[in-house]
Amino acid sequence: MQFKQTFLPAVLVGGLASAPTLFADETADTIKDLRNHIEQLDQKVRILERKTELDKEAASEKAKTAASVSAGASGFSIRSADTNFVLKLRGYIQADARFYADDHVAGTANDTFLLRRVRPILEGTVFEKYDFRLMLDFGSGVTASAANNAYVQDAYITARFLPQFQVVAGKLKEPVGLERLQSGANLLFVERGYPTQLAPNRDVGVQIQGDFDGAPGSSLVHYAVGAFNGVANGGSGDIDTADDEKDIAARLFAHPFKNTNVDALRGLGLGVAGTYGDQDGALRTFTSIGLQRFFGYLTSATPATAPNVVANGIHWRLAPQGYYYFGQFGVFGEYIISNQEVQQAGAGAGAGSFAKLSHTAWQVAASYFLTGEENSFKAVTPKKPFSPVNGGWGAWEIAARVGELDVDDDAFPIYASPTASATKAFSWGVGLNWHLNKNVKVNLNYDQTDFKGGAATDLLAKGEKAIFTRAQISF
Amino acid sequence: MKTNLLIRLLPTLVLALGFFGASVLAKDITLLNVSYDPTRELYDNFNKAFARHWESKTGDKLSVKQSHGGSGKQARGVIDGLQGDVVTLALAYDIDALYEKGKLIPKDWQTRLPNNSSPYTSTIVFLVRKGNPKGIKDWDDLASPGVSVITPNPKTSGGARWNYLAAWAWAAQKFNNDEVKVKDYIARLFKNVPVLDTGARGSTTTFVQRGIGDVFISWENEAFLAVKEYGAGKFEIVNPSLSILAEPPVTWVDRVVKKRGTEAVARAYLEYLYSPEGQQIAGKHFYRPRLAEVAAKYKNQFPEIKLVTIDGAFGGWAKAQPLHFGEGGLFDQIYKP
Repeated sequence: MQFKQTFLPAVLVGGLASAPTLFADETADTIKDLRNHIEQLDQKVRILERKTELDKEAASEKAKTAASVSAGASGFSIRSADTNFVLKLRGYIQADARFYADDHVAGTANDTFLLRRVRPILEGTVFEKYDFRLMLDFGSGVTASAANNAYVQDAYITARFLPQFQVVAGKLKEPVGLERLQSGANLLFVERGYPTQLAPNRDVGVQIQGDFDGAPGSSLVHYAVGAFNGVANGGSGDIDTADDEKDIAARLFAHPFKNTNVDALRGLGLGVAGTYGDQDGALRTFTSIGLQRFFGYLTSATPATAPNVVANGIHWRLAPQGYYYFGQFGVFGEYIISNQEVQQAGAGAGAGSFAKLSHTAWQVAASYFLTGEENSFKAVTPKKPFSPVNGGWGAWEIAARVGELDVDDDAFPIYASPTASATKAFSWGVGLNWHLNKNVKVNLNYDQTDFKGGAATDLLAKGEKAIFTRAQISF
Repeated sequence: MKTNLLIRLLPTLVLALGFFGASVLAKDITLLNVSYDPTRELYDNFNKAFARHWESKTGDKLSVKQSHGGSGKQARGVIDGLQGDVVTLALAYDIDALYEKGKLIPKDWQTRLPNNSSPYTSTIVFLVRKGNPKGIKDWDDLASPGVSVITPNPKTSGGARWNYLAAWAWAAQKFNNDEVKVKDYIARLFKNVPVLDTGARGSTTTFVQRGIGDVFISWENEAFLAVKEYGAGKFEIVNPSLSILAEPPVTWVDRVVKKRGTEAVARAYLEYLYSPEGQQIAGKHFYRPRLAEVAAKYKNQFPEIKLVTIDGAFGGWAKAQPLHFGEGGLFDQIYKP
């Protein structure tokens, strides 16, 4: 008891004296712990930020190399990040109907529904400058022959070294006929006019082309010159089995007022095209706008006993052409003369004789958009796509054309029958086109054709009245 | 049949004109050096020196472009079409891939230039923060709990593979080649790695600029550069007791230089790395020169470190790469992110 009384104050005093030191040590430890904790948290935050930064860098890096996929009115495409590699899937389908007046008369075609063109298109680019295009056709009646696989319409590569200097090789349209060079999906009428029948269609060869001051189709000056196997008027070919000679084809087309301030003239395009070569082999028939034959050379499977006319010599063509588009109005026209040396290589009258036959064709076609769209040689985009709910009725276009194909009178009677073939076809037609949207179009055409000569057939004597319609989707 | 010579010759003329035009337009007087991450400054300096040398020798003006990234990633880029005239990568295995996967170079490419086509060498060291707060002295400290280690990803970075193998070599010596213990050590080390960058320069950014980690396993030249750029007051270099001799090799890419017509200049470019001026530039950028007289000049810059070699310690890259870094290899077994 005595002990407690003696030492208790001392313990209390001593305890009170040492308390500040204990508290100070505890505080320092706490601060140290907190500092460590803060440093750890700081590191964790920095690490998270850095990981986010690296994730973003990785995503950005991946985006640089990731291909993009797109779908739209212009088709479907896959494009590499640097745009140097592109693959496009495009195509168009044309479901037609043809109705003829007097088709109960012998020799007149039947009314029919048909698939005029069924064409998937694969286009693309590799290594930035090298384009390719493959267009097939599975339309009604498309076949393959020894000289032309019609299933393959286009198959060519284009090396775009410069806008002014490009090299094209493969099967492509020869650069001649104006309307022939227009895409089959953008035609004003269901069927092309007469000049196309005297121009070459698709052929295999190599072509140099280029544009100065502007993109293809709207440049100040466009040129194309190429060497091809050579094909008969209106024909296509995949291989030249008839002769060794090749055709030169060339075209120059300009928009001379492209860079002027005169709005009314900027849509004027003028050009000239032609071919020159030595052609042998089979010749083609000519048809009306309604695709009924009105002229054919005398041919025979047994030339030893009957007349058989073939190409045998120089063939040249000259085709001045032009168009004019201003606002809703558009007009295009072309003339073509085809001069081909032919031979009656069979038996019978005129056997062995040669003749240089000059056929000519021309047409003028005009159209006007009632709904205010800007007219163009290319596809037209309606201001308001068809959608009754939203008050859109698409684009409505009226069209008219007139044209003629005149066969050289010297073709008769040695090279063609004056009773079975006409010497001239003259047509006029009107059309109504409904562009529901950029991809869907409906055509309604009426064409009337009168023929001169060949009165032995009902068709040629009475003429042709044809109503053609088309429902088309293109992308 | 009539034969018109002009018409028959026209296709040939058109093709000839086309290809003539193409060849004129395709002319290029630049070189592309595809390199690994930390060589930016070295080649920026070297390219200018060589361009001067080449112009004085031939009169031609030369522009050398650079591409940098993780060494493995860069090699894949060239295999996938990156038009590198020369490759200057972190390790021979990545250049071997140009033969193995693309046949872009001959199999014996490494014999075409002296010293196995490695004009300079380097090694692996530690970069720590000023005062070395975690007391990092050697490889075992990197596996201690609470130590944060920065190193890039061995799957994409050549430097990271050297780092990994240097650590493995030390552990193999320490644990008398007991693979279980070595793997355990490497696993503990990589458990301390919070961020795996794709290349060495990315790891430099992580450690130096983002302030993450206690120690950065680094190329010696990159460590010197960090100290030089950011000041000795912020970082210190710690030399481990054992490291590895890194031999970054170089070669020209035969298929590219033949196509572009740059073989002579590409070859001269790489040979110039062995010249006194090239070696001088390498030393200036903290790479260890091969040329004796230049190496002597920089002797004090580079401390003596006991070094193992890839051939001596691992049987060469052909053996080490699939064993350690291939799909399902030791690194895949050890490292679990």
